[in-house]
Amino acid sequence: MEKILTKKEFPSWIKNLKSFNVYGPVKKDALWEYERIQDPDKLDLNFKNTVLSPKKIIFPQREVILDFNHKKKGKPEIQEALPEETKNVIFGVRPCDARALTLTDKVFEEEPGDKYYLRRRHQTVTVGLTCSDPPSENCFCTSLGGSPHSTEGLDILMTELNHKYYVHSFTDKGRELMKAASDVFKNPSEKDKKDLKQVHKESEKKIKRQVKELSKITDKLKGMFDSPFWDEESMSCLKCGICTYLCPTCHCFDISDEVLSSSPLKGQRVRTWDTCQFPYFTMHSSGHNPRPDKSSRLRQRILHKFSYFVDNYDDYQCTGCGRCISKCPVDIDIIEVLEKVKDYE
Amino acid sequence: MVEMEQLQKEAKEILKQGKVKFVIGYSKGSQNLTATPVFIKKPEHTSRLIWDPTCVQNLVKFIVDDKQKQSREKKPDERPVGIVVKGCDSRAINVLIQEKFIDRDDVYILGLSCEELGVVDEKKIAQKLEGKKIEKIEFAKKNNLIVSTKDGEKKIPVKDVLADRCLECKAHFPVIYDQLFGEETEREVKEPYKSIKKTESQSPKKRWDFWKEQLEKCIRCYACRSICPMCYCDECVADSINMAVTAETTAEEKAQKIKWIERSPALSENIGYHLIRAIHLAGRCIDCGECERACPVDIPLRLLNKKLEKAAHELFDYDVGFDHKKPSLISSFKDEDPEDFIR
Repeated sequence: MEKILTKKEFPSWIKNLKSFNVYGPVKKDALWEYERIQDPDKLDLNFKNTVLSPKKIIFPQREVILDFNHKKKGKPEIQEALPEETKNVIFGVRPCDARALTLTDKVFEEEPGDKYYLRRRHQTVTVGLTCSDPPSENCFCTSLGGSPHSTEGLDILMTELNHKYYVHSFTDKGRELMKAASDVFKNPSEKDKKDLKQVHKESEKKIKRQVKELSKITDKLKGMFDSPFWDEESMSCLKCGICTYLCPTCHCFDISDEVLSSSPLKGQRVRTWDTCQFPYFTMHSSGHNPRPDKSSRLRQRILHKFSYFVDNYDDYQCTGCGRCISKCPVDIDIIEVLEKVKDYE
Repeated sequence: MVEMEQLQKEAKEILKQGKVKFVIGYSKGSQNLTATPVFIKKPEHTSRLIWDPTCVQNLVKFIVDDKQKQSREKKPDERPVGIVVKGCDSRAINVLIQEKFIDRDDVYILGLSCEELGVVDEKKIAQKLEGKKIEKIEFAKKNNLIVSTKDGEKKIPVKDVLADRCLECKAHFPVIYDQLFGEETEREVKEPYKSIKKTESQSPKKRWDFWKEQLEKCIRCYACRSICPMCYCDECVADSINMAVTAETTAEEKAQKIKWIERSPALSENIGYHLIRAIHLAGRCIDCGECERACPVDIPLRLLNKKLEKAAHELFDYDVGFDHKKPSLISSFKDEDPEDFIR
């Protein structure tokens, strides 16, 4: 379904989505974040990249897996805590972040399937926004098979055309969302369609950064596990979690029991984000750590994204959003690292 | 004036003579606007070293890193590390020596005076440009920055975009060094604790609301702790890993294990983490502001540390990192120390 929606009418569409939890980019001080919104006017589609991607809604940083309660007498009670059944919609999803969801799907859809992730994923409608202007100076989606108007992982793609949006839905979920307020949409004219093509074409040209010959890099990485290259490149790494926590495709987690009372034993089993960049990520209970230093951890990040994931799922585990580059406190630049891999002898 | 060529020359010389195993300094950043840390091992690479107001990082963290790496090596290279420091950073070295984490001989210090300037705050530059994307920042003559955006170049005086900490800096020249570049220019600091003035004047409720909102944002990426030269504990209280779990470990034993802070980024846990960290930095933080700069969600962490710095100054007449021969605040006692909080 392809329609035109004026910017003025956009809030009325949202107001018609009463049965949905609506999320979208909201500006707080100097930063944008995806937040649950009540007031459509708070939603700011004229936004630069958010700190965290919509990953945080579908794969929240903390998720309760089960509740446990062990009274002195009787068996322990264990209650599965699946996410609530709700209908969610996220507006203003960047095409790179939506593609990232399709990559994470591959991991969590594997047998037996991650019920928690999949429920949230299936009950969420993703409404994308074409990046007519790159939201970050470090965008490089086009190097990874994406584009500023890619539709992968999206139910709807909106493209800004002056004072209106060109709204294109590709899935049943998307069409249903548009039908919820059918009177606010108009049919596009031939000119609108022409303008859309123009904007999409222009948007690709505005992506300044790129990695060339990625397949060559993937091949090269296979022989670089023991290379001193990683020592050199990781010298300035701080071992913080910024690059991975902000990454829309990173999906590692830890599971721990949060005890609310020790007698009777009561609490929750939760999963929380974890990252290969933390020294304790691979720490064994024996005290041995197979990835003891930062060079092995930088290597893990690069190899997982550009070698292991390619082996396992035939795709790169990176969509070129540029967050890890922009927010690294010591300027470690994944594009530069990859380029150096290519030239490394 | 600091002559960059002289700095490069000295770095080259000490590398040539084998006095140091490598030199940590600043070089031009790739895409980001500030300088980037660089590790130079070969004398012929010293031309990569730069010095200008975009050299924001405190490189002393890498001394900590190297020390920890040495402890894992069978035959570590025990020569000193050459390091480029600003005034604030040099005080961090003093604290590390005071605390006996490093020896004076572990470092060869190339000290740079900020003279009448300091380093820039990227957020202030962004504000000046009203959201326009910065393509390039260059430091030009007469203490100006030339900032390029798609609308062309704009000249911004460095003074207008200096980091808050530089405006409150008590000594903008190194207090410990082997070689000094530039001069120990005196600069009057009218309000050394200006940034905390606002929160101090607020009611406890207002302050609590403010910190609740700030700490709720925390995603526990631990960038603040990772970048802090004073955070060198082998095991951080936030990690709780010191329990070997075997097949025989019972649920009760696991439940009894003390976890001071859960991994969940809940407000209570975030407060636990940040307040413990702040308290552990009392009398140790030299206000390099790196924690706040690194924070991806803009938590104003400097305010916590500044408040404790002020307490140390007012209650114990202690200023951090000025003399490595003096005992540290936590390990010293004076008869006239206030004790009205002991009840």
